[in-house]
Amino acid sequence: MSSFLPMGPKILVLTPEIIVFGGSVVTSIIGLSRSKTLRKSVPLLAAITLLASLAALAMGYSHEAAEQAGVLMPHFNKIIKAIILVVGIGLVAISVGHIDRRMEEAVARGATTFDPMRVVRGEFYSFMLLSICGAMLIPGSPDLIWLFLALELTSLPTYIMVAMSRGTRRAQEAAVKYFFLGAMSTAIFLYGFALIYGSTGSLQLSTIRDVFTDQSARGGIDTLGITGLILCILGFCYKLAAAPMHFYAPDVYEGAANPVTGFLSFIPKIAGFSALAVLLSTVGWSGHAGFSETGALISGLPAPILATLWMICALTMTLGNIGALLQKSVKRMLAYSSISHTGYMVLAIIAGPGLGFEALLFYLISYGVTNLAIFGALSGLQKRGEDVESFEELSGIGRRYPGLAAWLAIGSGSLMGMPPLLGFWAKLMLFMAGVQAGHTPLVIIAAINSAVSVWYYLRLIGVPSLSPPGTSSEGVTKGPSSWPRFAGAVAAVTVIVLPLFASRILGNSAEFAPTNAKPTSATTPTAPVSTPKQTTGNSPQETPRQIDTQIALHSSPTRL
Amino acid sequence: MEADVGKGYARFFNGVSIFILAMCTLVMADNLILLYLGWEGVGLASYLLVGYYYKKPSAVAAGKKAFIVNRVGDLGLAVGIWLIWVNYGTIEFNTLFQVWQDMDHGVGGFDKSLIPYCLMLGAFGKSAQLPLYVWLPDAMEGPTPVSALIHAATMVTAGVYLIARTYPLFTLHPDALATVAWVGGLTAIFSATIGMAQYDFKRVFAYSTISQLGYMFMGLGVGTTFGAAYHTLTHAFFKALLFLTAGAIMHGFAGQLDLRKLSGLRKVPGFKIVSWTMLIGCLWLSAFPYSAGMLSKDVILVQALGGKDHGFVWLGWIGLITAAMTAYYAFRVWFRVCAGPVFYMPGEETHDDHDAHHDDHGAHATAPTSTTSHEFHPHAPRWAMNGVLIVIMLGAFATGIPGYMEMRGESNWAQVMMAHSSAFAGSVQAHVTDAVNFGMNPHQLVELFGTIASLGGIAIAMYFHLLQRKSADKLRAWLLAHNSIRWIPVAMENKWYVDEFYHACIRGPAWIAGQILHFTDKHVVDGLMVNGIGRIPAALGRLFQPLYNGVLQGYATTMAGGAALVVAWVVYRWLTSGVAA
Repeated sequence: MSSFLPMGPKILVLTPEIIVFGGSVVTSIIGLSRSKTLRKSVPLLAAITLLASLAALAMGYSHEAAEQAGVLMPHFNKIIKAIILVVGIGLVAISVGHIDRRMEEAVARGATTFDPMRVVRGEFYSFMLLSICGAMLIPGSPDLIWLFLALELTSLPTYIMVAMSRGTRRAQEAAVKYFFLGAMSTAIFLYGFALIYGSTGSLQLSTIRDVFTDQSARGGIDTLGITGLILCILGFCYKLAAAPMHFYAPDVYEGAANPVTGFLSFIPKIAGFSALAVLLSTVGWSGHAGFSETGALISGLPAPILATLWMICALTMTLGNIGALLQKSVKRMLAYSSISHTGYMVLAIIAGPGLGFEALLFYLISYGVTNLAIFGALSGLQKRGEDVESFEELSGIGRRYPGLAAWLAIGSGSLMGMPPLLGFWAKLMLFMAGVQAGHTPLVIIAAINSAVSVWYYLRLIGVPSLSPPGTSSEGVTKGPSSWPRFAGAVAAVTVIVLPLFASRILGNSAEFAPTNAKPTSATTPTAPVSTPKQTTGNSPQETPRQIDTQIALHSSPTRL
Repeated sequence: MEADVGKGYARFFNGVSIFILAMCTLVMADNLILLYLGWEGVGLASYLLVGYYYKKPSAVAAGKKAFIVNRVGDLGLAVGIWLIWVNYGTIEFNTLFQVWQDMDHGVGGFDKSLIPYCLMLGAFGKSAQLPLYVWLPDAMEGPTPVSALIHAATMVTAGVYLIARTYPLFTLHPDALATVAWVGGLTAIFSATIGMAQYDFKRVFAYSTISQLGYMFMGLGVGTTFGAAYHTLTHAFFKALLFLTAGAIMHGFAGQLDLRKLSGLRKVPGFKIVSWTMLIGCLWLSAFPYSAGMLSKDVILVQALGGKDHGFVWLGWIGLITAAMTAYYAFRVWFRVCAGPVFYMPGEETHDDHDAHHDDHGAHATAPTSTTSHEFHPHAPRWAMNGVLIVIMLGAFATGIPGYMEMRGESNWAQVMMAHSSAFAGSVQAHVTDAVNFGMNPHQLVELFGTIASLGGIAIAMYFHLLQRKSADKLRAWLLAHNSIRWIPVAMENKWYVDEFYHACIRGPAWIAGQILHFTDKHVVDGLMVNGIGRIPAALGRLFQPLYNGVLQGYATTMAGGAALVVAWVVYRWLTSGVAA
């Protein structure tokens, strides 16, 4: 392959990942130390690693180097990495003390003797960092092999994390299910990669993009390529927990310990979305943008892919919401809710770069932070060393732990999209992106689903805060560590406060635009969050001239 | 007042502040929509304050009644505003009158001629005129300062203000103003008959308010907007004064309002100021010669007696008769309550929670059984109340100044003010004709008969209620004994059964319709449609649940099957359409 790039810029671009990887090695070694103090410092070390990585990303990342390194969407890449790192720190925090508490409980009961080697298990954090490292590698993938390896690096540690998170058989069962089905999904998208390679003769994503552009200029991407892409999308659906590959989610999420469930509902999802964005940037949004009959800007994705995504989007959100309605277990409910949120986010992928990607990123931030608030609160509770997972166990805990009930309520409100919480703005932005891209029917389906979802989210507000304490909630106490609760508190406050600063998070969306385009303020809906009025008025009825500029913004995948 | 200190005390001041805000909005609005905002705002404040004693069912019911009856009027106003917008394309007063002047300056078509009637309906609702007056007597359930401020002095005159403000539009139909005048006149005499027969003196004042508002409408209708506005001004003061004295007495006698159970208060220590200020109020109300009340009422009556069309002369006579009745019932209260031998029975209000500082009588006041005057010690108003009464009394005197100035032939600032308003600009300003009745022109007529009415009413009241109190009961017994006339006192005491009539004819059918609609809503709309739709997601959830059975192979099959279906569908679409992507 002649297109291997000099190592210089590549290493520069990969510094954050390298730091995370190094941290993972160090944590796994320290986790084996004989000194308990040292072993106890593992979560802190993991958090410091992530912070260092974040610092490296903030200071060392340059778009030029990234482009030289073959990154298709440098800005997107940077923001995805930042989101992963920030949420990752929270995920580390909510895991503190969790893996060990069953052991401690057993010792306290006298069921087993104290074994210092089993008390703090550093390898858990090591796997966590490895998975995070994998997810960070995805948005910058220059070729399919890289993409494949990064996806596997994201997934494989999670299987182990599920297995070791709890001592119960259900965790083992969940891990096995997760692993087998994950392997199957990997097979599916690997087959897709093979077909793409067959169609284009290259593994290099930029080359693939050129070939696909050629093909579509000559009448269309060939069957092989399209089928390959669709298989890839379906394979990625597993990571996203999107229909039809979502079946595993409730079982696995329920089987894993609470912090791991929080991890699973975020890191693989953001990995999957980055992979989807990277892969689709080879066919989509370039040279295909145009107007629908109603004059709305339509996404430039090839028709079969658009149809597939459309179906996945509609099915996922509907099945997720319907499934969540009847659940008695909070975690199963959250699993289905996670599925439905995937559905909403697929809408952003369909809407494409510009407003769509902004909405996607913002939604990911919102979802990640909100998730942290909810799982932080859930992880902060325990019942005789076990996870709290049914609604009954949560009943009335607000009387004893008003803070935790408040985090749950705030998180739930944000997930259902209640103004003025973060989730509302995320949804608003997403729906606007959908409408602007000409997918109003999908937005309507999403809005109906959103309304249905209030039913079960309200239970997560009402049961802990309003219901009287029941018999099964009696034994519920605070967990051994206060870090999960602290992380939940920070996340809940962020859910409330972040909308005020939302416009600054993603940076100016002019950065999504090619350098030669001069975006006017009207065409850069940077801050729909801080100026909702203006933007809501803006999106549906834009003048054709503004849309022209939008196309210019949308049509440069090189910069994205 | 003082008795109400406790939980929710702040609500009272909240309500009053809302009221003042809304009333100012209403009065200062330069367009109809803003006026409507204030209009609804005062309605809200009135509702909140009438229902201030929310634990008292009668207060809650009165609040509801006030609000609902006002809805009828408000509908009229809303439709009127809409018609104005449709016809003139503006709701701003200045532009509106300009357009009105340019366009027709006179009688309009059917839709235009509806405008004054719609506005009138709104005004009648807010100002408690026939047939929408029923809410005002009940509104006296509210705290007395509220009755004084809202239900006597200010809010209820909003209707008068509305008609005065939109006066030019009332020429759109030739009979519109005459309707206003006759409704006002009939309301005046009708409510005066009821007021004569009530024993609750706060209610007497309430009916007198309705009656006086009737005079104001009469003034508007017969063409003297100045008279109406001036009567509004004088009435505001003397009626507020009367209500506040009533409040002071209520406060002092544990909520006692029955004029048969109180007597000779001017000799009870501490009630001197209350008694004398009440006398001033009563004199003003009964249009005692050269009081402000007489000055303003006479302007209206002179105009009515001088009118030529629409039987306005008869209206003038009705006004004079009403004046006599007014004098009678006003002094019936005063002679009963403030004059005569000292005698009192406390009401049923037990103020036990706030009486800690009145130790001397607290023990008695807390025991509602001790109803004789020997055990009960009245609760004399302190300077907080007396001071207010005196200030308002001075105000009542001051309102006479414009009238005196006019009598002296000086320019009258109230009239000058009116002359610059839309009310004046549109008014016919028919000069008092030289119509001659009994050899006198209207001015002389009103001077003579007004004085006779006033003094005569007072004299009759004095005979029946001060000098020969027994004879009043004898008269009543005599009236009741004769079958042919016994309906008169019965009907008057029962307020002509208007409430009962409304209850049967309007509330009844509405209640039945409400029950039917409620049933429909509960069982058809909610039961079938809303809950039915609500059950769909859950039912779907149950439908799909078997798919999530926890079996690995099953999941793998479903996932692979799903993936295969998607691929097959896309490939099929792609092959059949024959179009490349």
